[in-house]
Amino acid sequence: MKTEKTNTLKERIAIVNGLRTPMAKAGGKFARMQADQLGAVLFRELMMRSPVDVDEVDEVIIGNVAQPIHAANIARVIALRAGFPEHTPALTVHRNCASGMESITTAVSRIHAGEGKIYACGGVESMSNIPLVYSEKMTNLFSKLAGSKTALDKVRALFGFRPGFLKPIVGLMSGLTDPVSGLLMGSTAEVLAQDFGISREEQDAFSLASHQKASAAKASGRFAKESMAVVYDEYIGEYLDYDDGIRDNQTIEKLARLKPFFDRKNGTVTAGNSSQITDAAAGVLLMSESEAKSRGLEPLGYLRDYAYEGLDPKRMGLGPVFATHTLLKQTGLGMKDIEIMEINEAFAAQVIACEKAFASKDFAEMHFGERKAVGAIDPEILNVNGGAVALGHPVGMTGTRLVLTVLHELRERGLQRGLATLCIGGGQGAALLLEVE
Amino acid sequence: MKYFNLKKDDRGIATLTFDTPDSNVNVLCFDALYELKHLLSEIQIQKEIKVLFIESAKEDIFIAGADINEIKAFKDESIVKEMLSKGQEIFNLLESLPFITIAVIDGACLGGGLELALACDYRIATNDVHTRIGLVEVSLGIIPGLGGTQRLMPLVGFTKAIELITASKRLKGDKALKLGVVDASVPSGYLEFKKEEFVKEIFSGMLDHKIQQRRKGVKWYEKFLVVRTFIAQMACRQIEKKTGGHYPAPLKAVDVLEESFDKTLNEGLQIELREFLTLSTGKISKNLIELFFTSEKLKKETFSKAKSKTIHTAGVIGVGTMGSGIAWALSAKDIPVRLKARKMSSIAKATAKMMKNFEALKRRGRLSDREIGLKMDRVTYTTGVDGLSNIDMMIEAVSEDRTVKHKVFEELEAVLGKDAIIATNTSSLGITELVKEMKYPKRFVGMHFFNPVAKMPLVEIIAGEKTSGKTVATVVQLAKRLGKTPIKVGECAGFLVNRILLPYLNESAKMFEEGESVERIDALLEAFGMPMGPFTLADEVGIDIGEKVSAILYEAYAERMKPSALLEQMTAKEWLGKKTGTGFYTHKGRKKTLNSQLEMLRSKKVELKENTILDRAILIMVNEAARCLEEGVVDNARYLDMAMVMGTGFPAFRGGLLRYADAEGLESIVSRLSTLETEYGERFAPASSLVEMAENNKRFYP
Repeated sequence: MKTEKTNTLKERIAIVNGLRTPMAKAGGKFARMQADQLGAVLFRELMMRSPVDVDEVDEVIIGNVAQPIHAANIARVIALRAGFPEHTPALTVHRNCASGMESITTAVSRIHAGEGKIYACGGVESMSNIPLVYSEKMTNLFSKLAGSKTALDKVRALFGFRPGFLKPIVGLMSGLTDPVSGLLMGSTAEVLAQDFGISREEQDAFSLASHQKASAAKASGRFAKESMAVVYDEYIGEYLDYDDGIRDNQTIEKLARLKPFFDRKNGTVTAGNSSQITDAAAGVLLMSESEAKSRGLEPLGYLRDYAYEGLDPKRMGLGPVFATHTLLKQTGLGMKDIEIMEINEAFAAQVIACEKAFASKDFAEMHFGERKAVGAIDPEILNVNGGAVALGHPVGMTGTRLVLTVLHELRERGLQRGLATLCIGGGQGAALLLEVE
Repeated sequence: MKYFNLKKDDRGIATLTFDTPDSNVNVLCFDALYELKHLLSEIQIQKEIKVLFIESAKEDIFIAGADINEIKAFKDESIVKEMLSKGQEIFNLLESLPFITIAVIDGACLGGGLELALACDYRIATNDVHTRIGLVEVSLGIIPGLGGTQRLMPLVGFTKAIELITASKRLKGDKALKLGVVDASVPSGYLEFKKEEFVKEIFSGMLDHKIQQRRKGVKWYEKFLVVRTFIAQMACRQIEKKTGGHYPAPLKAVDVLEESFDKTLNEGLQIELREFLTLSTGKISKNLIELFFTSEKLKKETFSKAKSKTIHTAGVIGVGTMGSGIAWALSAKDIPVRLKARKMSSIAKATAKMMKNFEALKRRGRLSDREIGLKMDRVTYTTGVDGLSNIDMMIEAVSEDRTVKHKVFEELEAVLGKDAIIATNTSSLGITELVKEMKYPKRFVGMHFFNPVAKMPLVEIIAGEKTSGKTVATVVQLAKRLGKTPIKVGECAGFLVNRILLPYLNESAKMFEEGESVERIDALLEAFGMPMGPFTLADEVGIDIGEKVSAILYEAYAERMKPSALLEQMTAKEWLGKKTGTGFYTHKGRKKTLNSQLEMLRSKKVELKENTILDRAILIMVNEAARCLEEGVVDNARYLDMAMVMGTGFPAFRGGLLRYADAEGLESIVSRLSTLETEYGERFAPASSLVEMAENNKRFYP
């Protein structure tokens, strides 16, 4: 039996400041920037804007899912390129879609354990640069070739070649496939759509709303508050200062025309009602609340507590319900105490399934042995600026972005408490409870 | 022994260490040479010596070259001939020692230093950054005179010898190994291992065979006279194109190599010596050496007794041509730089300009993509005020407009830390006046870069009345870190360089108005040695900018700088020079032809005397320079000359503007100015200091 965590964090962690790059559609504007470069740009800027000197940071912790082969321990590469001193250690963390949260919570544990005081954390992802990989057969052939000593051996090895060997493995697709259940992430969303009876129309309507909310937030300058402009092509001098996945003129008709992607015959999940594949980086600067106070800082907000939970990989999309349930229990709070909520929109069907599960007594009974539902989400406070369907989901980065989005929104509305939660490929959920003063 | 120490071990390995007393450099003065001679004649009969290493005790320096003070003093050809012959004999003695000699080069090995190393049997170099190997005499207007031309050619071949000597190339260890100048190149940490390896191979008799195989020497085709003649001609043509034929040394170097190719060493040494004598006693070499001394002096100059503060992060506000150039200079030297502009599009364009400069370095093999990436990583930007409180300094390069600059300064004072320095890249506005309403005027300073920043080495530093010594010391140090030469100048309108240069442009415009031809004036001044004629320069700078600055100077200096009406007329017609495609010339790509409509701006045509044109253009500058010196706008004539050479390309072979005046004779200058005054007006009235100096027979360079 797993330990039941009942104690909440003994001290809040201050998120001193935070920043993200715009989110650019994969294969587009940021395609020629590798993840380490995106991260370097972001973290240098974050530290330029922060009231703490780079020398004072105890460690740099960065989440990244598709770790590029040219930058092993990408956090260290980013730290050096971003101008952190050589003596500052750096650690890359990986909890799949929650990597950008894991970087934060790893730092939280370290601060609470007294290992350090100040941490620069975040997440980066360049989904444009996830490589194609040679098949196993081709790899074997290469190693035979390299191992053959004589020209004759080499010719022999070459005779083993078949054109089929050249078919690459698409790294992106492999990465988005759960190796245990064998399902693509989108297929897990199909499972939820079936479980909860979520129609194609419902999903498309949700997606349209996501674009509309994001489009309004973009127009009002709301996103500019949390993001920086990035010069992505220094040779010709091109920059991006908005999230280019948002479709200002998205319509329900356009969404309806799309073919299901994962289950072509009967499916309901399309490219239009799934999160977009994008490139981006986000970062935050963390320290304990007391440290921030003693420095006279005015943090962007605080992390009050967090929780991770595991669940059925085939239904990984429900991760937010499990994690949030634990987090609420841990903190003694209820859903009504949450004033702003972000559930990452991996798939429209998956968020809708979460909404239904949150509100369902049966679900609570079955999974938590509780009589009352976890608590229905007020639709007015959920993903108020749209989500990954419009903005995209650069897997390693999203976790950090959700934290930024919640904190900025709380400040914007003069509210106090918010929740950032997401589902994690492989069957997990993460939830972070955030507060503003 | 004063300069050298000799040690021997029981294996017969002797080590001769060059260690100039009370100095952290080794230069090859004649004193040291004579001591070397004495030493060598002593040890040449010592049978127990098998190997002699020649090393330096100085950090980062093997031998930095000959003693330039001695070269500067060369006057009488027959005396020089005697000294140099002796020197050549000493190196001949070194070459003929009965045991193996090896130069161990861990540091600068230049000029005479390399000539010494070349007289050894072998050379081991380190591949560290401080190791630079080359015959650099040509840059001082002379050629190698101690056998350098003769001993380099057999190692690297005819063509390469020409290339290395005429361009004064400084090679890294690995490159020197590749070309055959040295026989080994190792990291300095492995130097002792390499020496031991050489010793073992010498004892086993393997070394010479191995090394002779490696050395390529003269190429087979270079043995044909026709081929050599062709190569030499091509080289000379290229040199003339580059130098305008004003610098004889590289051409003489080619001649020497060509003439001595199939001669014996001794005959070759005679040829080398013959040319060395004329060059080293000639005017041009003296001028170049003076400039070299001035640049050495400037390297040590701080212009302020206060302690400087190190700039860790600098900002640049206004990212046009100048701003992006300055930002590039900072990032190229790995100084984090924050760009600030109103629009992101300007910032993005600025990064493209910076990348152009980096790309140029990449094409020349100086930087890799990885290195460029790391440098560009240090560039951050903002359109707001974020992060500005974290920078140590802001360099302002917004448009040259008092009101605009004022507003920018106010904004900056509101966000920058109060210790942060604010430097303005103004080219003409006085600092005191510009910042009199600011809260902390002592942090304001002028830092006038020249366009294009990547190429122009001069930075004029201007202190306002309230500028602190620390501020001056800091920007002087920063400019040096950028690889620039900072020179502190007075706060007068136009500062130093523009104040002197503008009358020259103005006078040229007046000559045009009087009816003289644009092309003739340009050609004459190019022949004088200016990198481009005044009208070509005006087109480069921009006619409108010229007009603006003239107006400011007219306001400050009244009648003598009354601008020609021409610039105004051209500005009205949008003939702004290269940037609009039309100015004095019509520009198409890289080609320029005379602007055919220019004639409508004047009514007559005259042909002035050549001397009149040159005197009107040059002496008006000499006159203004004398005034600047008189007013203390610059510390001394040397600095003024260096500023003009670096800031305007005034011909270095003439040693600078005032050195040119010295050469002409101040009496002659004053009388020519007086003649011009009678004919063309008051603006030529000789400056009082000039008149006084001429009367007392004084010179700018004593």
